[in-house]
Amino acid sequence: MKLKQSILSAILGIGFLYGNVDAADIKIGIAAALTGNAAQYGLPIRKGFELAAGEINVRGGVNGNRLELIIEDEQGRKEEGINVFKKLIFQNKVMMLFGPTLSNSAQASDPVAQAAKTVVFGTSNTADGITSIGDYVFRNSVTERDILPITLKIAAQNTGLKKVAVIYGNDDIFTKSGYDNFKKALRDLKIPVATTETFAKGDVSFKPQLTNIRASNPDAVVLSALVAEGAPIMVQARQLGITLPFIGGNGMNSPRVFELAKGSSDNLWVGSPWSVESPAPENKRFIAAYLKAHGTMPDQFAAQAYDAMYIAAQALKTIKPTGKLEADRKALRDALPAMQWNGATGPFKFRQIVGRNGKPAGYDAVQTAIVMMTQANRYVIKN
Amino acid sequence: MEWLDNFWATYSTLVLSVGTNVLLALSIYLTLACGLLTVANAAFMAIGAYTAALLTLQTGTPFLLALSLGALLPALIAMLIGRPTLRLSGVYLAMATLAFGEVVRILILNAEDLTGGALGLNGIAQLTTGFDVAFALIGTLYVLLRFAGSRIGRTMAAIRQDEIATELMGLNVRAYKLFAFVLGAALAGLAGALNAHFTFFVSPNEYGFERAVEILAMGVLGGTGSPWGAVLGGVVVTLLPELLRGFGHYRPLINGVVLIVIIIYSPKGIWDLTRFMRRHAGKPAVN
Amino acid sequence: MLAQQFINAISLGGVYALFALGFTLTFGVLGIVNLAHGAVFMLGAYSALQAVILLRLPLTAAILAAIVITGAAGWLLDKLIFAPLRARDAPHLAPMIATIGLAICLNSSVEGFFGAQNLRFPVEALPTETLSLGGIRITWLELQIVLLAFVLMGILMWCLKQTRIGRALRGLAESPKAAALLGIDVEGLFRLTSVLASLLGGVAGVLIALYTNAVFPLMGQPMLHKGIAVVILGGMGDIRGALLGGFFLGFAEVFSVAYVGSTMRDAVAFGLLFAILLLRPDGLFGKAAQRRA
Repeated sequence: MKLKQSILSAILGIGFLYGNVDAADIKIGIAAALTGNAAQYGLPIRKGFELAAGEINVRGGVNGNRLELIIEDEQGRKEEGINVFKKLIFQNKVMMLFGPTLSNSAQASDPVAQAAKTVVFGTSNTADGITSIGDYVFRNSVTERDILPITLKIAAQNTGLKKVAVIYGNDDIFTKSGYDNFKKALRDLKIPVATTETFAKGDVSFKPQLTNIRASNPDAVVLSALVAEGAPIMVQARQLGITLPFIGGNGMNSPRVFELAKGSSDNLWVGSPWSVESPAPENKRFIAAYLKAHGTMPDQFAAQAYDAMYIAAQALKTIKPTGKLEADRKALRDALPAMQWNGATGPFKFRQIVGRNGKPAGYDAVQTAIVMMTQANRYVIKN
Repeated sequence: MEWLDNFWATYSTLVLSVGTNVLLALSIYLTLACGLLTVANAAFMAIGAYTAALLTLQTGTPFLLALSLGALLPALIAMLIGRPTLRLSGVYLAMATLAFGEVVRILILNAEDLTGGALGLNGIAQLTTGFDVAFALIGTLYVLLRFAGSRIGRTMAAIRQDEIATELMGLNVRAYKLFAFVLGAALAGLAGALNAHFTFFVSPNEYGFERAVEILAMGVLGGTGSPWGAVLGGVVVTLLPELLRGFGHYRPLINGVVLIVIIIYSPKGIWDLTRFMRRHAGKPAVN
Repeated sequence: MLAQQFINAISLGGVYALFALGFTLTFGVLGIVNLAHGAVFMLGAYSALQAVILLRLPLTAAILAAIVITGAAGWLLDKLIFAPLRARDAPHLAPMIATIGLAICLNSSVEGFFGAQNLRFPVEALPTETLSLGGIRITWLELQIVLLAFVLMGILMWCLKQTRIGRALRGLAESPKAAALLGIDVEGLFRLTSVLASLLGGVAGVLIALYTNAVFPLMGQPMLHKGIAVVILGGMGDIRGALLGGFFLGFAEVFSVAYVGSTMRDAVAFGLLFAILLLRPDGLFGKAAQRRA
């Protein structure tokens, strides 16, 4: 055992020396859902990260050091998320982590990063209870709590609605969390709810619920769903003769809605920090670069990942790596909160929130929401 | 020693998962050994997990007490529904228990104020240690192996072979079946309670159809001839995805192929393969 | 509103019945709970979709393509998996586990090939007419699904009663050993059943993909879930039972949404299933078919 140990240490030592001769690569871990149901979100996220890291490296990296992405598939499953986090933190010894893709997974794996004092930066987690885990948890995905009230207000102003019906997925943390935030926003804006209906993932027919909604005579339908269910809901609503506007949460902000709900996609209101229609030069540059590299239009997941990589890189620029992982990770965590950035998703900064025990915890995103309505296969910005 | 620390830091969750999955496999082995195809173990696991987690989260109950209650409550529920449900047999029993499992999952989903609904329970304390899991496993295996060799085990095997004949011999078949069902529920509940306390977070969707099918697969894949079959099944099903990690995108595909190949070449489960070795070693081939 | 919900229930029931037909056939004749039926269903949908998109075939030809591909899948399923297990006299749960593995393979292959996101049929391929009668609306496609479920059931029942092969299948379902002794080509019939059940699943896949306009790798899983309930309700292996069970579940679901509340919908449906099983252990219409674990 002793001999084996000393040989091992010798090899590691040589490797360490060797590694330090050239400019050290900065290892960045990415835990994303690359297979499984959540892969439809995880894959654009990965592409966004790769695009940003590629651009940064081409321009000389961070203070001359290359960004090295270590990407692992967490399959959208919580146990796998924990395993992947542990591997990236303890085995690959990354400087920081991005991910995971689903809020569900984040609830389980972010505590691992917090305990290991490694920054975890979510780009697609919008549910409650994530950044409250601790002060090593960051995200640039604006929460629905911040966006939905604005969406509702603008939609109400433009459509003159007096009361709404609500339909949401009650078996998914994202859509349920969205519903809770809608409920609160509706209450604050004093908009009465005619009826509330639920559906489950994988449902084939939404007509029973939509028939109830039709009978309750609302002026608009509030929809907390991902595009996979949201699009069929819109289609089936039109089939039932419901021509009302839909007001959607974050999940409905995807160009795929035009494809999936073709012919029925008009009159959908969504709010989001990112819009494919936003004319800002950084956004146009991002869209062009993404289209060139991947051949498809980006979506909100790709945009937020792209910006997140730049935000992290900016923070990395300000710290002096000491070669001691623990100290460097802490330095990164200390540098990150002050970062501000103007990227594809517009002007961005962090805001620290208070955790469960009343003490300051992690960092949420501060960004203005863009409210859009779908019209003739485009998102038209309304605010 | 640093190697061990590093290994544990990276793989502790995996090792503990293997442990709780073996417990789950043992819970279904117990009922399969009696000829009962019950698929409610995922639901009992959920009840155990939520009970224990709520106790430690809301009332600061000491861990061992929470674990015990996490095993007790599913057992009580199993006792309640056991009597009418176990009159069914074969696939109908499986489906009734599957339906029960669905109802449990939806009740948990809807009892938002208590269980957090779809948002789940967050921030569960990391209380499960390797020792807890090892202790539970060793205890369970010891008991089940003792059963297998004793009158209880032989009666269960008899029930599995021919229920009517066993009844005619004067044995209380119903009592044995209920016993297996309730004990299986307790084991599944215990596994759930342990699992909740090393994964930080539980939500109703983890305990649905997929989990129930996974538990059944562990039991059948390992082999129902002996508790060791369940151990094998639990280990293989848990470790296989991890071992296949290097295959990246092909991981689930190879996972599926391995399952198919194993079951075709050893339909009675992996444990059955060792039958040959045991025969050569002079020990009687069980079952 | 009641009338519209009634129509919704019939339409949903038709969907469930169509899926359950192939599923119940596999159990009735082969004695296997085919947990890959959802994956075969999905395969049918993707086959038709690619036929329309890549080969630019009209919808009917696409459905034929789906039938061919899923039928072939059924053939392979029996030849490569069920037959070897029969030859080894496997315990009757073993094929079910194999189908679990197969489902994983199919789902992940399709996901790897076509991606995990939802796809849809091009608008031109879709029959979109909606019929409207005094405030009640039903699409032409929904009607077709319901009609097809009845038609297929009728054809299957007729075949089972009147044709030689049908009678042989019924004999096989009762007792494989007796059938073999009577000189019936047991292996051939098993294979035929697997083909038939799979292509029924494939057809269901295409139609339901058109109905929901969502094609994605895991689309068969929730259907499988419901399908199991339908087949239990109607009696495992009973063709009429698949239809009756399907409509029963459709009505139970729709009316619990309409009058109890959508959150409890699945609890009501499965709770009913649980209660019915306790009262009538062989399903609403089932025979006394018992199998040991």
